[in-house]
Parts: sequence; C-alpha cells; structure tokens
Amino acid sequence: MAALTVRTALFELATPIVLASGPAAFGQELLEALDYATVGALTTKTVTPRPLPGNPQPRLVDCPCGVLNSIGLENPGFDRFVEASLSAILDLPTRRIVSLAAERPEEVARMAARLAGIEGIDGLELNLSCPNVDDVVIGSDPTIVGSFVRAVRSEIERPLLVKLPGDTGPLIASADAALAAGANGLTLINSVRGLRIDHRVGRPMLHRKTGGLSGPAILPVALARVYEARRAFPETFIVGTGGVTDVESLIEMLAAGADAVGIGYGIMANPRLPMDLAAGLAGWLAERRLASVEDVIGAAHRGGFVVP
Amino acid sequence: METRTKRRTAPTRSGSVFSAPNATLVERQRGEGYARVWLAGVDGVRSARPGQFIMMRRLGSPALPRAFSVLGVGPGRVELFVKLDGLLRELLGSAPLGTRFELRGPYGVPYEERIDPGRRYVLVGGGSGAAPLLFLHERRPDLVSDLVLGFRHGGADDLFPALDLVVEATSCQRASDRLADVWRPGLGIVGCGPEPMLRTVGARYRDEPAVYVSLEARLGCGIGSCLGCSIPTAHGTRRICRDGPLFACSEIPWLR
Repeated sequence: MAALTVRTALFELATPIVLASGPAAFGQELLEALDYATVGALTTKTVTPRPLPGNPQPRLVDCPCGVLNSIGLENPGFDRFVEASLSAILDLPTRRIVSLAAERPEEVARMAARLAGIEGIDGLELNLSCPNVDDVVIGSDPTIVGSFVRAVRSEIERPLLVKLPGDTGPLIASADAALAAGANGLTLINSVRGLRIDHRVGRPMLHRKTGGLSGPAILPVALARVYEARRAFPETFIVGTGGVTDVESLIEMLAAGADAVGIGYGIMANPRLPMDLAAGLAGWLAERRLASVEDVIGAAHRGGFVVP
Repeated sequence: METRTKRRTAPTRSGSVFSAPNATLVERQRGEGYARVWLAGVDGVRSARPGQFIMMRRLGSPALPRAFSVLGVGPGRVELFVKLDGLLRELLGSAPLGTRFELRGPYGVPYEERIDPGRRYVLVGGGSGAAPLLFLHERRPDLVSDLVLGFRHGGADDLFPALDLVVEATSCQRASDRLADVWRPGLGIVGCGPEPMLRTVGARYRDEPAVYVSLEARLGCGIGSCLGCSIPTAHGTRRICRDGPLFACSEIPWLR
C-alpha cells in the first residue's frame, strides 16, 4: 500500500487514516478487530493530570446522522496512564500520538516534561476543545491557546498538534496563535456542541445538558474548517476529523486539505473501518491512475483532480 | 457461599470475534409488539454464549449499530428476540426476508463466567430481556430452578407457546411477583429487563448472595473502547459492554 503513504515534514504515515482521540481509547481493544497496518497513527484518549470518572449515564444519545456524546474525558489520570497503559501503546505497530488536556498551562507542561523522556511517542496532541468538561472551551481564545502551547513546547521537542473547536471561537486566529507558539500541526475539529431534549418530558437527555455531536452530521462543518485552515496555512500539517465514515468522505477530507484523516465516530460504528477505508482508497487511486494519496491532499485548492 | 471473584478481563479474545458484513434476515415469527428473527450468513456466531450480544445495523447504514442479546445460535445463524420499537427493531419486524444487515460480535462476558456455578438460579426477565435468559436455560438447564418471564401484554405468548409467561394484562401479576412466589433461600437470581424490574429485584433481594442483574445502556462500539457505557460500581468504573453486561446486584450503587 505504498500509494497510501503520507510523507510530511512532521511525520511519515503508512496511511492517512488516523484513529482520532476518544473512541479508540488506548488502542488495545481494537487489536481484536483491526489490522494496524492500515492505521497511520493512533491518537490516545485524552489524558488529564488527575483521574476523571467521566459523566453519568446516559453518555450517548442518537441523532439523525450521528451521535451526541457526553463521555466527560473519563481517563485514569496521567500517572496511572504512564505506569499502566503507555507501554502497551508503545507496542502498537503504528505511530502513537498522546492526547493531553489540563485546566492550566503548567499542568500540561508537567505531563509533557515527563513524556519527553520516553522513547516511542511520535507526537503529542493538545486537546483544547473538549465540549464536555468545562463551560468555556480553551481553544476558542487565541491568547489562552498560545499560553498552553508555549508551556508544552518549552518541555518537549516532539511534534505537537493542537486540536481546536470547529464551532466556537475564531479558528484561524487560534490556529495562528498555536503555530506562533510552536505547535507543528492542527487537528480540526472536535465534536460540535449539541443538545437533545426528551420530547416526552421536555428535559435535556444528558445530565450536562449539552454534549458533543459527531458522525456524518458534522462532516460539512469539519470540511469547511479544514478547507479554511489549509487556505490560511498552506504548509501546516492538518488532521481533518469529523464525520468521515466511508471512502467518499475520506477523499473529500483529503481534498479539502487534510494530510491525514481522523476517524472517531466511524470506529465506534465499525472497528474495522480503517481496513475498509485503506482498501477502498487504494482501489480508488488505482482506478484513477494516481500514484499517491498525496495527489489527493489539498486537491480542492488546485482545481480538483483529473477525472479519467 | 462466596461470590466468585470478578473477572476484570473480558473473554472476547482475539480470534473469537466475528464480523458479518452481509448477514441476511431469513426467518421471522411476529407476535404483538415482539418478534423472533433469524439471520443467516453469520459465520463465527456459534461461539456466542448466553449473555453475550451482537452489534447490528442495516447494511450500508452510517448509523451506530445497536446491541442485541443472542437468543440462540445455529450453523451460520443467529436468533434474536426483539421488541418492535425504534427504527432498527421495527425494521426487523417489517423488512422483507432477504434484507441485509451488518453484524459483529459476540461481545460481553458470558453469564456462566460471572455467576457462582455452585447454585441454581431463578431467571427473571422482562420484555426482550428474556432473550439471554432463554439462551442460558437452553444451554445450562442444570443452573436453572425457575424461568420467570414477564410481559405487559400477551404479544409474546404465540412466540413461546411452550412457556408459561407472566402477562400482567391478564394475570395482574408481574415477573417480580412470580419471583417472590418461587424464590427460596439458597437460590440465586439472574435478572434481565427494564430498570424498574431490576430495581424491584434489587430492593427485595440485594442482601441475598448470588443475585445478578444484566444492565443496558446505549452502547457505542460494543468492544469496550469508546467508554459510552461506563457506569460507577462498587469496584470503580466499569464498562457494561466489556466488563458486563452481568453485574452482582451488590456492585451497583443504584440497586443498593
């Protein structure tokens, strides 16, 4: 599958398919279902300085073309993550990106400093956009984004991605602040804040009222943000995430400008999806006599590709 | 008698899980509000054991699949017992035979691996919660003292003519009332059904040993990865899909 290799200044990925932070947890459960050779990188579930129990049930509410989630960053906390989970992650036959979140820059810097001494972590992703823990989303304020990125960058030289919200705040200004402070790439977008009300009783279905919408419903939102970001930052590594569940939407995301495509909802629905996508993408490239997936990346900014 | 030590790791080991992207609805018996359905083309499903579930959606649908407890298995076939509400379940009740579905599984810890094997049990089910209990009864009759299956209305009667179902509309009795009639000290309980039924079981029997409940939530992945079904238990956070679905009643705070 040489045609699927993505070579950028930041990473070489075996395929452009990245397991987005969240539904893949720490990658272990998927070993039963998935051939990791089809995965360019695993992004871990977000790890926080202290353990988080997550939100009460219900955590998932069905929506037309998607799901509203309220997981609440359930995770064992950074220390336990490093002691109990990290070594198995480092054994996975793919690139590994560790996702971190904290309330304050110095907390995330402390975690980054500890990871700096561990070989085999290919990059970090700073989650500044979880809609399910705080009322204020950090990633929507460029000044705060800059302070978080600087704090991490001062502790670690590894590739650093910043995951920003797609539905709140000035995206380009936040991305600009992140890149100026030393981030190497952008992950766009997180799930989109949404609400559902139980029509029988007139009350929100989630305890925290709102949750994060993911799935095909947010594909056009993610495509628009990736497209805008690619136009603003022609050389920056971008992981486009949001609603990709089939080869067609994968190609859309690449053409919008994503170097790699995050799969979140899609992996929940079908843990084998990366295998289907890799095979489908390889076949699609061959049909069009395209030598590499890199010919597809950003094609929407260049007038598209030649249709055979 | 001691409750057996809880397993932390799930038995759905590599190699035992199947993915059937092209299963076919081949047979159906409909009752009022419920149906028994058979799907074929599900190689690997024979490894499914009582208490385990499959994830299913219509072929080609981008929707999250839904979890269904297995009622029975045959060569390349799986049988389900479904309540006909919700889009997918109504589809199972009305779609023409030959309709294709995507199935994967089996997931979850089999009941036999969770319960104390040194006892006999009253199996108490409500609605489609009967499915895993009927499967357990078929496979391990030696573990079963009584089978108590409750329904609001009589719609499931025709589907299980050999069974004496507890139909509230005609008998003014609920499954929990029948349970009180048949349970005696020394017997365990395995409950699967709507939350009010499980709460009644919990309220009356939570201090007895070997009382277990099968829990439900909207599952996301079904494999323990997305944490959509995590719940607090006496032993910390657990995933219904991977650590359950069966839990000791004493582990569940809202049943204490």
